[in-house]
Amino acid sequence: MLALTLPVAFEQPLWLWLLLLVPVIATISVRTLAGLEPLRRATAIVLRCVLVAVLAACLAEPMFVRSTDKLTVLFLMDRSDSVKELQETQEEYIHAACETMKHADDRVGMIDFARNAYLQQLPMKGGYHIQPGRLPDIDNRDRTDIAAAIRLSLAMFEDTAKRIVLMSDGNDNMSDVLTEAAAAQAQGVSIDVVPLWYEHRNEVYVDRMVAPTNVEDGDMVPLRLLLHSERPTSGRIDIYHNGRLVKMTEEEYARVRLEAGNNPFSVKIPIRGGGPQRFEARFVPDDPQRDDSIEENNYATAFSFVAGKSRVLLLSKDTAEDTPLAEALQSEKIDVEMRDVSEGHVDLLDLLNYSAVILANVPANYFTDEQHKALSHYVVSLGGGLIMTGGDEAFGAGGWIGSPVAEVMPVDFEVKHKRVLLRGALALIMHSCEIPRGNYWGTEVAKKSVDTISSKDYIGVLCYSFSPGGVNWEVPLQLATNKAAIKKRIERMSIGDMPDFDTTMRMAVTGLMGTDAAQKHMIVISDGDPSPPSPRVIRDMVNGKITCSTVGIGFGSHVVEDTLDKIAKKTGGTYYPCRNPRLLPQIFVKESKVVRRSLISEDPFTPQVEYFSELLAGVTRDEALPMLGGLVVTSPKAEAQTAMVRMSTDGTKDPVLAHWQAGLGKAVAFTSGYWGHWGYSWVNWTKYSKLWAQIVRWSMRQESPANLDIFTRVSGNRGRVVVDAVDKDAAALNLLDLPAVVIRPDQTVQPLVFSQTGPGHYEADFDVDQTGQYIANVSVSEHGQHKGAIQTGLSVPFSPEFRELVTNEALLRKVVETTGGRWHEDVRDAESHDIFSHDLPPTLSKQPVWDWCLSWLLLPLFLMDVSVRRLASWLAFSLVCEAVIIVLLLFGLGLIYGRWWEIAAAIIVAELIGWAIRFRSIIPLVDYLTHSVTVLGAAGERSSASLGQLKGVREQVRSERKEGDVGGARRIEAEAAVGSVDKTRRFDVGDEAARDSVKDLTDDLGLIRPDSVQDGGKEAAAEPRSTESEAEDATSRLLRAKRRARRDLEQGGE
Amino acid sequence: MRALSIPVALFLLAASGGCEPPALTDNGVIASFGGIGMGEGEFSYPRAITVDRNGHVYVVDKSARVQRFSAEGVYEIGWAMPEKTAGKPVGINFITDGRLFIADTHYHRVIVTDSGGVELARFGHKGYADGEFQLPTDVAVDAQGNIYVSEYNGNDRVTKWSSDFKFIKVICQGEVAGRPLLRPAALDIDDEQTLWVADACNHRVLRFDLEGKLLTAWGEMGRERGQMCYPYDITCMSDGTIMVCEYGNHRLQWFGRDGESRRVWGERGRQLGQLWAPWGATEGPDGLVYVVDSLNARVQIIRL
Repeated sequence: MLALTLPVAFEQPLWLWLLLLVPVIATISVRTLAGLEPLRRATAIVLRCVLVAVLAACLAEPMFVRSTDKLTVLFLMDRSDSVKELQETQEEYIHAACETMKHADDRVGMIDFARNAYLQQLPMKGGYHIQPGRLPDIDNRDRTDIAAAIRLSLAMFEDTAKRIVLMSDGNDNMSDVLTEAAAAQAQGVSIDVVPLWYEHRNEVYVDRMVAPTNVEDGDMVPLRLLLHSERPTSGRIDIYHNGRLVKMTEEEYARVRLEAGNNPFSVKIPIRGGGPQRFEARFVPDDPQRDDSIEENNYATAFSFVAGKSRVLLLSKDTAEDTPLAEALQSEKIDVEMRDVSEGHVDLLDLLNYSAVILANVPANYFTDEQHKALSHYVVSLGGGLIMTGGDEAFGAGGWIGSPVAEVMPVDFEVKHKRVLLRGALALIMHSCEIPRGNYWGTEVAKKSVDTISSKDYIGVLCYSFSPGGVNWEVPLQLATNKAAIKKRIERMSIGDMPDFDTTMRMAVTGLMGTDAAQKHMIVISDGDPSPPSPRVIRDMVNGKITCSTVGIGFGSHVVEDTLDKIAKKTGGTYYPCRNPRLLPQIFVKESKVVRRSLISEDPFTPQVEYFSELLAGVTRDEALPMLGGLVVTSPKAEAQTAMVRMSTDGTKDPVLAHWQAGLGKAVAFTSGYWGHWGYSWVNWTKYSKLWAQIVRWSMRQESPANLDIFTRVSGNRGRVVVDAVDKDAAALNLLDLPAVVIRPDQTVQPLVFSQTGPGHYEADFDVDQTGQYIANVSVSEHGQHKGAIQTGLSVPFSPEFRELVTNEALLRKVVETTGGRWHEDVRDAESHDIFSHDLPPTLSKQPVWDWCLSWLLLPLFLMDVSVRRLASWLAFSLVCEAVIIVLLLFGLGLIYGRWWEIAAAIIVAELIGWAIRFRSIIPLVDYLTHSVTVLGAAGERSSASLGQLKGVREQVRSERKEGDVGGARRIEAEAAVGSVDKTRRFDVGDEAARDSVKDLTDDLGLIRPDSVQDGGKEAAAEPRSTESEAEDATSRLLRAKRRARRDLEQGGE
Repeated sequence: MRALSIPVALFLLAASGGCEPPALTDNGVIASFGGIGMGEGEFSYPRAITVDRNGHVYVVDKSARVQRFSAEGVYEIGWAMPEKTAGKPVGINFITDGRLFIADTHYHRVIVTDSGGVELARFGHKGYADGEFQLPTDVAVDAQGNIYVSEYNGNDRVTKWSSDFKFIKVICQGEVAGRPLLRPAALDIDDEQTLWVADACNHRVLRFDLEGKLLTAWGEMGRERGQMCYPYDITCMSDGTIMVCEYGNHRLQWFGRDGESRRVWGERGRQLGQLWAPWGATEGPDGLVYVVDSLNARVQIIRL
């Protein structure tokens, strides 16, 4: 509710000069409104002046200014790697500082930061509520961005006194802290700093290791090392080559003595084999306790590329199954390395060791999202070859639908043709979980499931929403044909606290049983505390062959695992206890596979050659290919070459062998395989080895051109790729077009733009703001023809956080100086810091009210101004005023939301004003009514007097008649003789008396006055003259008759 | 004049109808307190409520705090449950001898405190056997001091305990009136010393004598009057009616003891007089009704 007593400020006070118009308008209005009666005119002028004043005030942008004594303190906690040991100390500091809080209305918030800033506690009353050790983990601690934390803080403050308490070592390596501090100061925010002190006086770190970019097989690679030490010390340098420790002698610097400052070393490593060579140098101090405090900065990495023999990586889920293929390739002199996909980590640098990679019946869930991207980049950006062979867990049946790998492959994992396949149906049951961002993870996994199922499958999502009735299909069970629309619905889901599984699972069972799906599966994600499903639902699921897997997610022991485990066991599903929500997508990809078994077709068939591509060289047209026992159903892509198909009875062609160029690389899909089950006839085929050797060789990456020299270097947060190009005569190649990309550690791709900076010399820069490997790929083409690509890269082995050996006190003090904050030296002495002292300048909160003035003052005043001039009745005007005032008080000032007596007071005020105005019209009305009664009474009296007079006259006439007939007759005759007696005056009481009586009544009743109707009077006066003329006519007629008779007699006498 | 009448009419119409006045008197809300937060007098998803004989209101929320308010909703004191990592309480009940019984649900026990939060006793531990609990939801105490505790999640039952916290018997478990008991979410004992149970996931109300003999059962799932959707709390009112707090229908409903619906109050929403996923309601000594409006993080006080 607004209070009228609050002070007001104006943002644009110049507009207030318009107030000078008020007296001018008042003067003009006196003349223009001269026609109105005085009171109405005065009211209109006052309203008009107020209207102009309010208009001027609105234009001046009035603001309500309110002072508050409340305080909001936001603690900024540095969680970067450089101060990771001090996290607990910082938490203790916040708790201790909150103990000193004296005002219950003060608010406390907390933001932690490293590379990014995260709000952990909204500013709220009651102190700091996050228990020690309960802070959720955050990502990307390899950088510090204090400015981001300050920026987020400034968005969190309310209209109170504002204080930021920054706990940090000040070693910001992302953005400009002081600019943000200045912004804070401009907003009246004070930043107190609690420095996190450290000084690593006994520290050694490996500043860098440099290896030549390109080396030859058999070379001795010179590695140059630069070690920095704060004091003289000794230790050992371990060199690892492709993950294996290189044995070195004493002379080869296995043991080193370091002086204070930089210490360069070099060592030569022999190279055997091709591909990228990864080197790692690690310094091991003799006395780690004494000589080295940060272990993370004791190593560096570098890599070189060796142009050598091509190799192929065969990733297999079941190596026994794929041994025939590996042996066939080896028999064709192809160097194959077969690896169980469940062993070891595959990253982009690993992949660069190989010219082609074969995914032999490998499901998608063995790889992380980053690895999916790496496989895609390997083909598209780095020119590698990728071959996928079929099986029960390959292609769409292996969860690859929606993956970046599916984009690369020459067949569409979705089945496009109309042939009815066995469908799958998946129902997801989502229960809100008490984990940070629980609903976020719920929607993410649901979307992941949508991505990985086929468009021919059904999917639906059930959760408890708070609509009446509770459980609903938030995504109705439907075919996943429009995945984008389904994902949009998922994003709109509001996942509520589900009371029981029974209702939800029963709905899911009903839905699934209503589909024609052959595979029906349910996935439940929950903390397990809803009531378990009834035995009947479980029985229905078993009878309906509906499997159910459950995922238990929550904090610690919060998950009620019994319930979830039982559901999974009874229905043939799997229970996944999940403590890390990041693993959820992989679980869902794996589980979603259950419904994709419909994509597997296990009818034996003889493949048909559709197109004699180069991969089928040696296969003759009339040659019958061996039978295959099955395949994974896919659809051909338009741009791909489908060399081999399965002809169905309905004429549909299912791709068996397809291939295409994908970006810089090549991809091959062989939808059958599964050699122990489907492809044993092929294994025994004489052309098996040759055919597969052709397929693999076609897909292999082209070797790098020899006339390019490429290397990288890094400086601060920028990396640089340098290319020197010469032709075979060592002449510089100028004006080359070098399309290139760099693949960053997070598997994002950044284009590189080369500039020629010298003869045959090209440079391109890129950001180095992540820890890990950066792989750059430069394509080479001549005369428009792609001639291969050359790779290089650099490695950022550890975060710059570990280079900082001392707290950046200067920066932190500058922050304090900029914002007028305080410096708190000791992080362990929160009690004396008085963090919650109310010594900040009074905080004024400004609230713009021009719109309120416009709505609730200007418009009502305008209405009243028009009303007072146009409405003739004061009564009507008073009603308008009353309505306006009630609306203004109740809704404009918000009294309607107040207590009952405030509402009553508003109505009374409006009524008083209304009645005050009405009083002006009511008095005349009362006067009128009272005056009428008086006048009517007087008129009655006068009428009585007139009647009395009339009666007197009549009595007089009557008595005169009784006095004697003779005298009377004589008088009548005399009167007749005079001929002037007016018969109308026989009962006349006197003209004056009658006229007075009529006049009074006319005045009082508003009737027509007798004297105002002259014509009627004349007509009345004319009546006697008419009678006289009639008498004259009779005489005339008599005379004329006499004359006529006399004339007739005279004529008859003759 | 005629030209002016149209804008005047429109203005008055907009002014009177454009703003939605909260029907403070129509819906009977006389006060509301709380709000989202962790400060004193604020709530983080409140889930249970009780009122003592002096009118003090106790609310337990999902931050595992118990807060005491005056009858007018003014914060007085608060305290935290001994542990909260595994989960938070969903049931609380005050009895006339001044003790507060809290169903510490996720720790499978009942904690007894005085009105200031000082722990007096605790009993029960995780398990499915007699004398053990699996997610207890509510506590009631009869005139003799016997204690009744409801549980769910695979051990859906109501058990009876002596006043010195010794297990006596199972009042009800398994098949009751044709359906297995499923999440008995709340208990209350009326002036006739019979036990009323809100059988939440069966959307019905059960009445037992104190030895476990079923006296009556009524209710079905639905949104209509007389039907219920997840009754999470039940209160025997001083006027003899049974008040049911419906989590799923976002409302309170009063029934006669024969199951006839007498009154419905509330609907889903954020305004006063509206509820969003209410978990509990109770009656104060002066006849006021206090309802925990969980997702709105407040308590509404109503007079009907």
